[in-house]
Amino acid sequence: MRRCVTHKLIIKLIMTSRGDDWSSNLQGVLLDISGVLYDSGEGDGTPIAGSIDAVKRLKSSGLKVRFCTNESQCTRQYLVDKLRRLGFDINLNEVFSPAPAACQLVRERKLHPYLLVHPDAVPDFSEFDLELTPDCVVIGDAAVSFTYERLNAAFRVLIGQENPVLISMGKGRYYKETDGLMMDVGCFMAALEYAAGCKAEVVGKPAKGFFLGAVKDMGIQPQHAVMIGDDLVNDIGGAQSCGIKGVQVRTGKFRPSDESHPTVKPDGFVDNLAQAVDFLLKDHAQ
Amino acid sequence: MMAVRAVLRAVLIDLSGTLHIEDTIVPGAVAALARLRSAPVKIKFVTNTTKESVSTLHQRLQKLGFDIGVGEIFSSLTAARNVVIEGALRPMLLLQEDAMRDFEGISIDSPNSVVVGLSPDNFNYATLNSAFRLVLDGAKLIAIHKARYFKRLDGLALGPGPFVEALEYASGTKASVVGKPEKTFFLEALRSLGCSPQDAVMIGDDARDDVHGAMAAGLQGILVKTGKYRHGDEDRIQPGATAVCRDFPEAVEHILSKML
Ligand SMILES: [Mg+2]
Ligand SMILES: [Mg+2]
Repeated sequence: MRRCVTHKLIIKLIMTSRGDDWSSNLQGVLLDISGVLYDSGEGDGTPIAGSIDAVKRLKSSGLKVRFCTNESQCTRQYLVDKLRRLGFDINLNEVFSPAPAACQLVRERKLHPYLLVHPDAVPDFSEFDLELTPDCVVIGDAAVSFTYERLNAAFRVLIGQENPVLISMGKGRYYKETDGLMMDVGCFMAALEYAAGCKAEVVGKPAKGFFLGAVKDMGIQPQHAVMIGDDLVNDIGGAQSCGIKGVQVRTGKFRPSDESHPTVKPDGFVDNLAQAVDFLLKDHAQ
Repeated sequence: MMAVRAVLRAVLIDLSGTLHIEDTIVPGAVAALARLRSAPVKIKFVTNTTKESVSTLHQRLQKLGFDIGVGEIFSSLTAARNVVIEGALRPMLLLQEDAMRDFEGISIDSPNSVVVGLSPDNFNYATLNSAFRLVLDGAKLIAIHKARYFKRLDGLALGPGPFVEALEYASGTKASVVGKPEKTFFLEALRSLGCSPQDAVMIGDDARDDVHGAMAAGLQGILVKTGKYRHGDEDRIQPGATAVCRDFPEAVEHILSKML
């Protein structure tokens, strides 16, 4: 009960106690997509109430906006098209996703990837010749394509290398679809790490370079940016580790236990994106 | 420091690699087992399996010529079944069909626990996801064992371990592992004989899972150089085995002449 009465004050209280009124110095906003803008699921999924309008209001406020997603079930273009169909004001060049970073790693090291990714995400890797014998594994949110035989094929690539290279597009534990929570790429990354005795290199959130790349693209400093996400560890913790503020929404994969996490303390909790934008724009306008 | 041993009352014997290797008997093992039976010790056959039910194991041993009762076999599936019964749990079973037979009579309606063995048929996204949701909601996660991989005819293949790991990662919980080398496994096997660890010895070909595991649980341990034994295995465990024997018959000879 108490939470309901006081939650509107939480952002203010935290800011005051830290003696830095960050939201009035705000210049840019990083938005997570799944669990913040919409919940994926049947068809295009379902927008979260108020989020379509919230993105519009943010964009017309003069604040810079970028979308930071670990979505790897489809290509970036497909994701943008889907969100536009749902009614979101979003453009391809505003979206940061892990696939380009994964490609860059593979390219730089002149490796041949085994793609343990969703079939719809394969076109993001069109620069690689998938007929060649693979010597590294790129893993994404393959969902139903996480079969025993495909995981086994990835495992054999890894166990056959002296220094196995496993590139993971995010390391989330789970995410929310309209009909419930779904295991995310991190689980299968952990399975392969355990089986092959190796450590994955994570691209996408919570890698620092991923957040900093998006902030740099807005032409601002990290301390003038805020990340709004539903994944406490990867969105909020990741952003905070590079000096970006982090606001946790109580939508998507949020669970009440997130409010008492032992190490990650968000700069604010809000019920949803719409409420976050209410607060940010109020403070920004002052 | 040499503890004064009580009289040896129980012998735990590993199956695969100790009594037989696939369909071949370790030479002299049938006669050696008969000799051991004439001594005043209780016997239990203990094995880590996630694929085969006790009755399937029993049939194989009988076919090979071993005089073994079905009730004398204690497998990691038996151990899991005991955990399920004691906790009055209703498990979701990620097991292959034959292993399911060890869970006959146990209610699996509206499950409140998840039991994971080697089950490629169940290691798909939809089934794993159902298991994950149960565990996240508080269901107990029970792993038969956590082997990383095993050898299949066409090469290496993922064991149950990676999938247990995936469920642990997803749910932020730790599985309880019931097979060898867990201490509780040996204690459970002995409990069914009414013996305590200091009165028992374990014979096996796996230095880590059989010998070291048993000794950590307070038993004595005899390593046999058959099955998966590789040169130098006895030096890879600390403390060292109570005895290292060429094979099962020599281990029986050691028990009869030195441990009774
Ligand atoms: Mg999200
Ligand atoms: Mg063995």
